[in-house]
Formats: sequence, structure tokens, C-alpha cells
Amino acid sequence: MHRVVAAIAATQTNLRPAAFFDENGSGMSVTAQLPNRREILTEVRRSGYRPVAVLPYHYPRALLRAHGFHPVELWGPPDVPRDEGSRHFQPYTCDIVVRATSFLLRGGLDGVDALLVPHTCDALQGMGSVVGDFGPVAPPVLTLYLPRGERPADREFLVAELRRLAAALEEIGGRTPSVVDWDEAFGAEDAADRALAGLYDRRAGLAATDREFYTVVRAREYLTAEAFSALAGSVPEGEPPGGVPVMLSGIVPEPMTLFDHLAKMGARVVADDLACGGRRRYDPPAGGDPFERTADRILSGPPDPTRGAPIAARAARLVEQMEKTGARGLLIYDVKFCEPELFDVPLLRSRLVEEGFGVLHVEVEMGTELPQQTLTRIEAFVETLQ
Amino acid sequence: MSLGARLRHLAAYRLAGRAALALNRRREERAADRRPVDPTRALTPPLRSSARMRQMMSEHYLEGRHASGVRPVAWVTSGAPAEILKALDFFIIYPENHAALCGARRHAQALCEAAEDAGYSRDICSYARTDIGTALTGNTPVGRLPPPDLLLCCTNICQTVLYWYRVLADHYGCPLVLVDTPFQYRETPLEHEVAYVRRQLEEIVPVAEKVAGRRFSEERFTEVVAEAKAASELWLEILERARHRPAPLTAFDAFTHLGPIVDMRGDAETTGYYRSMLAEIDRRIADGVGAVREERHRVLWDNLPIWYRIGSLSRWLAERGVNVVASTYTHAWGELAPLMDPSDTFGSMARVYMHPILNRSAGQKLDAMRRMVGEFEADGVILHSDRSCKPYSLGQIDQRDGLVNQVGVPALLLDADHNDPRAYAEEQAAGRLEAFVEMMAR
Amino acid sequence: MTVALGLDVGSTTCKVVAVDAEGTKVASRLEPAQPRLEEQAARMLADVCAEVDGNGEAPVVATGYGRRLARAAHRQVTEITCHARGVFRALGHGGTLVDIGGQDAKAIRIGDDGRPVDFAMNDKCAAGTGRFLEHTAARLGVEVPDLGDRAVGAAAEEPITSTCTVFAESEIISLIAKGADVDAIIRGLHRSLVGRIVAMARSVGVAPPVILSGGVALNGGVRAMMSEATGHPVVLPPDPQLMGAYGAALIAAETV
Repeated sequence: MHRVVAAIAATQTNLRPAAFFDENGSGMSVTAQLPNRREILTEVRRSGYRPVAVLPYHYPRALLRAHGFHPVELWGPPDVPRDEGSRHFQPYTCDIVVRATSFLLRGGLDGVDALLVPHTCDALQGMGSVVGDFGPVAPPVLTLYLPRGERPADREFLVAELRRLAAALEEIGGRTPSVVDWDEAFGAEDAADRALAGLYDRRAGLAATDREFYTVVRAREYLTAEAFSALAGSVPEGEPPGGVPVMLSGIVPEPMTLFDHLAKMGARVVADDLACGGRRRYDPPAGGDPFERTADRILSGPPDPTRGAPIAARAARLVEQMEKTGARGLLIYDVKFCEPELFDVPLLRSRLVEEGFGVLHVEVEMGTELPQQTLTRIEAFVETLQ
Repeated sequence: MSLGARLRHLAAYRLAGRAALALNRRREERAADRRPVDPTRALTPPLRSSARMRQMMSEHYLEGRHASGVRPVAWVTSGAPAEILKALDFFIIYPENHAALCGARRHAQALCEAAEDAGYSRDICSYARTDIGTALTGNTPVGRLPPPDLLLCCTNICQTVLYWYRVLADHYGCPLVLVDTPFQYRETPLEHEVAYVRRQLEEIVPVAEKVAGRRFSEERFTEVVAEAKAASELWLEILERARHRPAPLTAFDAFTHLGPIVDMRGDAETTGYYRSMLAEIDRRIADGVGAVREERHRVLWDNLPIWYRIGSLSRWLAERGVNVVASTYTHAWGELAPLMDPSDTFGSMARVYMHPILNRSAGQKLDAMRRMVGEFEADGVILHSDRSCKPYSLGQIDQRDGLVNQVGVPALLLDADHNDPRAYAEEQAAGRLEAFVEMMAR
Repeated sequence: MTVALGLDVGSTTCKVVAVDAEGTKVASRLEPAQPRLEEQAARMLADVCAEVDGNGEAPVVATGYGRRLARAAHRQVTEITCHARGVFRALGHGGTLVDIGGQDAKAIRIGDDGRPVDFAMNDKCAAGTGRFLEHTAARLGVEVPDLGDRAVGAAAEEPITSTCTVFAESEIISLIAKGADVDAIIRGLHRSLVGRIVAMARSVGVAPPVILSGGVALNGGVRAMMSEATGHPVVLPPDPQLMGAYGAALIAAETV
């Protein structure tokens, strides 16, 4: 994969740390600086790797890489209308599924070699099933069933399921990884996992706005492992902007202007339990059989409703994180119709309120801007925490 | 087990309650026998077996009121391997069936609202909201639900049940056993999937033994599986009788007679019940009696019923000569029967419990509907787009297109919700159904 | 006189309240919202200032959905905080404030110190807002101010199951077609609206008394049914429509 990094480094000079954050540490217009997904696709392909589009949110990165695939994640995108997707899914289907389908049907990811739909929830089950069986999109559809427990049986199954996925990748890509390929892949991906965890550990000492910080966190969704590690390492140290400390939970912070609004309202995000962020703080094991290693990485993530964790375990982790980071309130920011999130909200709320934290739950339909009403609710919530 | 609880169980359920319910059934049967045939009604009189079914369901919930402290109580999902618990003499509550009962008796909305008041979103499954409403308020039309000593959750119908049972586990503070059944994107289950489910089934035993305080008996288990298989086969036979013209029963009859096969599968009484129901249906066939007096159009139903509209929808359609002869939903409890093997209990159950239509891909469901349209000679298909049941509903748009374009039958996507009447727009639905009937008449 | 001003730019009305140093209301204005909100707000502020002899440097806090448009404001605060503050000061106690405006409805549990403990707002659909009644009143050919009395006076009630404004309208059409009594339909509509709002209030926990504010507070039918549905007395602050602006003025007096 080093070829990819070299290629990106050669063409995307803006990935160099100095260009992303300016010298005195105050952030720059980050969205303008990072390559977009399409550019990454081109670079990945040029370097001999096969791009694979991946739906949220747990999946085996090193396994893909060892087989010569590079994942580019799809979380919507929010600016694609539901139109094409709604020809396949009812109005009560979540935006991620409908908009991702729209995006694929519009040719948004033409040129990917496969589509990987992890079995995260009933909505993604429906998507994997519909696009796989009725074939509205071109590339082969791969699925990955994620077990809902952490028992020995679940681990054993996940290992076997990963072997099945690997066989499917071999069939598409024609590549059986060697020991060297596996080592190389684990080396790079584990380093990127550590880089992500490091970002969170160093959050209080990073001179980045929330918008910048989460732009970096979310670059993991499509950058190569090396590029991401370099980017994460480039965030300058210093004092982050002030504000009422809050924790963010939910699926994905779209639109990203949410962070600009939060800053204006006088809040700052000090911790998160986001599906695209904190829930992917894996603790990858070192060494061992590559499939067991891959399974253990996924199982090492924090308590998560899509992996069947008891609600009490989730609540306990939230409390621990909020106490550690000084967060005063929890903003649960969900995509509309997200059942795995919605079921936990009342109990999480009551546990956190018992512990003296404020809780606000908002549901958003993905789009390029947040409705005024949602902003008012968030602003009022911040006011109550001040 | 306290003596008081046992005495109450004996007095209120075994002696007084059962006798009263038996009496009531005989009264209902006599009334049915005396009722003159009314040729102006679009539906022929309901099956005489209904009285016995009501008696069985009432007995079941009556025992539930007095079960705590007498028998270990388990709450299980509709697709769960209850046979294992049955072999340990658990008293079993199916929250989904309870919720459906609340829906049919028009109690569901108030219970949903109680759950919503506690913060449960209107976008989550209305069965879950109904039962959470009962858990929070204690209100139920069956008097009282015994709290669970054990929760058994099988994901072969949806992931929703796991989110829901996590809430119940937190609320009741009892163990939650999960049987995770990998979704079948392909035709045949893979070996690692079967092994996974089998291992989980086997792992239920020690937990359930501990809760029940008794040893698991292979022998008893084999008996229960054989009984469940026999009942499921009878159920399938009953459903298949609707292939006759005119069909002796409607899918709406099947919805209401589903209770025992879901709740009491594995009991000898259940097998006996379906045997007598089958005999009654065969008499209807012999007499040339159809469930709809003038059967002009035969329709296949997809997805859960609209519980709070079963009666009115059934009459409305019958008045227009429409008999809904079959449903993918009721078949789910019948088509598994052939897969059961009392000589390889755990192995065959692992396959059975991965096989429900809800755990198979959208394309396989279209294939099943295509097959059923042929077998039941259906002239059209109503696909209930059920806001509350995403796994059943997602895929219906393409399935409908497939039915219209490949099979060549009219197919209607009917927006509703299985238990929440607020999601049903009467006027809109009537308009669409009217147009659908007109299309079949062409 | 030293005054502070509160401006509440709502979706249907624009309100200004001036308070003196003790927090007593000394002047107010209420007008239907005009398309040029910014100009309207500036004019109303100037008007009130002139009335109370303000020196033009009075602190201004703006609230309501158009609060960002008010350039003259020194600070913007959400209507949640402002309503809670205004109502607490006007009544001297906490409780559960239900504010039903033209475009949104909110329930705010106000603690013993006058601060909002928890709150909920309707989602973006119009169900559960004043618009629901306005829209359906138009369909029935009834004037909005008469709705409450007709609901209270109705001899019967037609249940309306849809809380969605669009679906409710089709229900009404079919009820009219069946010859149902208009007043009974109106009563059913009120029940449906109150049901939706009480559900929202319950999500924050209803602590008595229930306090109603906003334009719909003037509707006697809603008041009576709200009390029936919650089992608690319903109280109204003086000038229920001005509570947001009043709270904003109080905050202006304290903090600016």
C-alpha cells in the first residue's frame, strides 16, 4: 500500500501536515484542503489497488487491504437527494440507506470494484438484500454478518464469516494474500487505529476546532491508512477553543456545519460516541492468525447497540467518558428512523440525568443545512448547561 | 415456589378458570350451531373452531396471571426456539402475540402512547411500543402478564427484537439469552452459520436449567419437537386447503387462528386443535362452502396483518368478492415443519430457525410470492407496507414491480402499520384498495 | 427611565416588551408578523422606547425563530429559556409550561429556580401546533377565535385519529360527507391536538401546574381538555402571548 501513499503524497501536497494546519496552529479551511473521495478513488486505482465502497460501520480494514482493496465509506452522502433511492425504499427508511442508493444509482461511485454492506441493522440488511438481489447497482455486492454478542460462539462465527468474505474478495481481486501482505496490511491499519485513538486521547491538547477535529477523524472513512496516520499526527498542539463541554452520541455528524453552530452557541465537543468516530476506537490485538486478529479488532470496540451491548454497559461508558472529559451534557444526534439508536435513548437519558448530566436527543434528516428548529433546540440545550 | 402462589394457580386457573372458559366455549359453539345462515352477508359464518381457539388463548393468558412462583416464566420472540424451554416446563409469553392481541382489541394505541410518553419514539416498532407500554403501566387486556424470569431473543425476524429485549432485560433485571441467526442472503445456509446457531441453541440449555431449577431431558425435548413438527405440519395443511375454489378460509381467519401455533407449539392440545380445525375445513370443502360467499378474486397478502382492521378489512374485501386466500406471514409458521427432525433435534432446529421468510433475502421473498401466486391461483397481491416492520417491508417496492412485470398480476403497496392505528389513513387506503379491485376486475 | 427590552420574533406575530429595573412590564406591542421582519422589529423597538422615554441605549435581547434577524439586539437567547424566565417571573412558581405557537409547540419543565429543567418541541410537521387548528378551521368554514367555544359547547365528539394535518383533513372531508356535526368535529380536532401536545409534555415529565402560553392559550377548549388529559389544573400567565418577549426583556435587564 505504500505505493498509494507515495502517489497521494506526490499529487496531494495538501496532505502534508504543514499545509493542512498553518504554522501558528489556527486551523485552515479544512474541507478545501483534503482530497475528496473521487480523487482518492483515482489515486488508489492508479496505484494498483481496487476501491470498494463500504456502508457503515464495522468492517475489516486490514483484510481488505491484504487482498488489494481500499475502502471508501458511504454515509449518505447528505447532499444527494433521496429521489433515486426512494424508488427502492419506503419513506420510513433511513437517509443513509436511501441516499447511498441514490448516490450509487447516479454513478457516484462508478469504478468501484465491489460494494460491501455490513449487516449493521435492519435497514442495511434491506439495502444489502435489495441491491444484491434486484441489482440496481453495478458492482458485486458483498455482505458481512456481524454477530450481536461477544461470546466464544460469536467470535468463532465472526472468524469464519471473515474467511468467507476473504474468499469472495479473492474471487473478485484474484489475489491471495501472502504472510508479507498480511503483515504489511496489519502494520498500516493498526497504526491508523492507534492514530485515531491517539487523536481522542490528545483532544484537550490539540489546537483544532471541533469542525477541524472531526474532519480529521472522518478522513479515516476514505484516506489510506498512511495518509490518515500522517494527517492525525499533523494536528498541532495547543489550546482548543473554549466553550461548554458536551459529549456527542449518535451516528454521523452531518451536516458538518453542526460543529460551526455548536461553536457559535458556545459549546465544544470533548468526547463522542459516534458510529463514525468513538465507536471505532478499536484496540487491535498484536499477532496471531489474521482472521482471529481481524475478528478480535472488531469485537474490541466500545459498547455499541449494533453489536448487542447491554444498555447499562453503554450508559456506564458514557458516564465514564463524560466524567473523564468534564462534559456537562450529552447531545444524542441521530439520523431519523435509526432503530438501534432510538430504543436506547430513554434509558440512557434517565441514567445520565440521574448522574447529573443534561441530555438532548435530536433526530435529523440528512441535508446540507440543519433546520432552524433543530438549531433552536440545541441552542436551548447549551443554554441550560451554561 | 410459594404455597400461596400454587394454591392461587390451582384455584383460579386449574379449577374455576378452566371450567368457566370451557362453559363459555360450549355456549359459543351452541350459538354458532343455532345461528341461521344469513345469505346477505359477504362472509360465511366464522369457523366453529374459533370458540375452541378463544378458549385455548384465554386459558393460556389466564394461567399467565397466576404463573409467577408456580412455573418459571420466559418471554420469547415469535421466531425463537421455544421447544427447548417447553421441555423444561417454562410458562411462555410471546410479547409479539400479546401486542397483536392488544392491537386487535384496540388497546394498542393507548399502550403505545404510554411508551411514547416515556421517550420511546413513534418511529420504533409498534409491537415493541405496545409491550413496553404494558411493562411501564401494568395495563393489559389479559389482566396481568407474569414478569419474565428469562428472556429468549432470536434475531431471525429482525434486529429490532434485540434492541427491544435489551430494554426488557434492563427493566426486569433478568437474564437475556440471544440466538443470533445470520441473515440468509443466499438460498442455502452455510456450514459456519448452521454451526453458529446450533452452538447457541445448545448454550440455551444450561442457562434455562439454572433458571428453571431442573435438568433438561433429551427425551422430553424430542417429544416436544415431534409435537411442534406435527402441529406445524397440520397448520401448513390447513393453509394449503385455501388452494380450493372457493377457498374454505381466508388469510384473515389464518391470522386469528395463528395464536396456538405461535404460543403453544409443542403442546399435544395444540396438535389436537389444528387436527379438528383441519377436519372442519375439509367438511367445508366437501360441502362446497367458501369463506367468502361470492369469491370473484383471489388475493395474496404480504407482511403482517393490520391487527386493528382485520375485521373491517376482511368484510370490506369480501363485499367486493375478494378473498385473501393466503399470506406469506402465516405460512412462516408452517413452511418450517418439513425441516424439523426429531432424530437430530439441535441440528435440524439450527436450520429451521434460520429459515423464516423474514430472515431471507428480498429476492427469495419475491420467489416465494411468485410461487404462492401460482399455487393459490391468486389474481393479485396486497403488499402491506408496514411502517413498523422494516425487515419485512424493505424490498417490497422491487417485489411489487417484479409481481406486476414478471408475474403479470396487479399488486398494491398498502401503507399502514401492524399495530398503530394512527399510521393508517382510512380514506387513502380505501381509495387505493378500490382501484386495486377494479384492476383485478378488468 | 432605565428600561430593558425583549423582542420575540415569532412565525405569526412579533412582540416587544419593555421592563423597568425591577422587572415590571412597562410597555408592550404585539403585531402580526410582516414579511420585512427586520424593519418591523426595528420600528416596534423604537416605538416602545419612545413610549417609555428610553434613551435609545436600552439593552435588547431577541428571541423567537427570527431572533437572528434583529440587528438591534445585543444578544440572542432561545425561546425556551425566555419563556421559562418570563412565566416564572409572572407567576412566581415553576411547573410545566406548554407553549403552543403558530408553527411550533413546546413543553418546558420549569424548576423551582425558574430555569428550564427539561424541554421538548414538536417535530417539523404542523401536527400539534396552532396551524393544525387554523388549517382545519378554514376547511370547516369557522373563524379561529370561535373554535374554542364551539368545541366546549359541542354536544357530541367525532374522534379524529390522524394527528397529521393532511390526513386529518381527509378525515374531516369524509366526516362531513357522512353528515357529522361540525361542532362535534371541532371538538374531536381539539382532542387530537391536545393528545399530541400532552404526549410531548409527558416526555419531559408533567410537574403541576400546567401553564399555557402562546396564542392557542386563548382557546378555552384547549385549556379545558389539557386539564382533563393531564389531571392537573391549567393556569395562564397574564398576556400569555407576551411571555417570550417578557422573558427576553428580563434577561436583558439582568445580563446585558
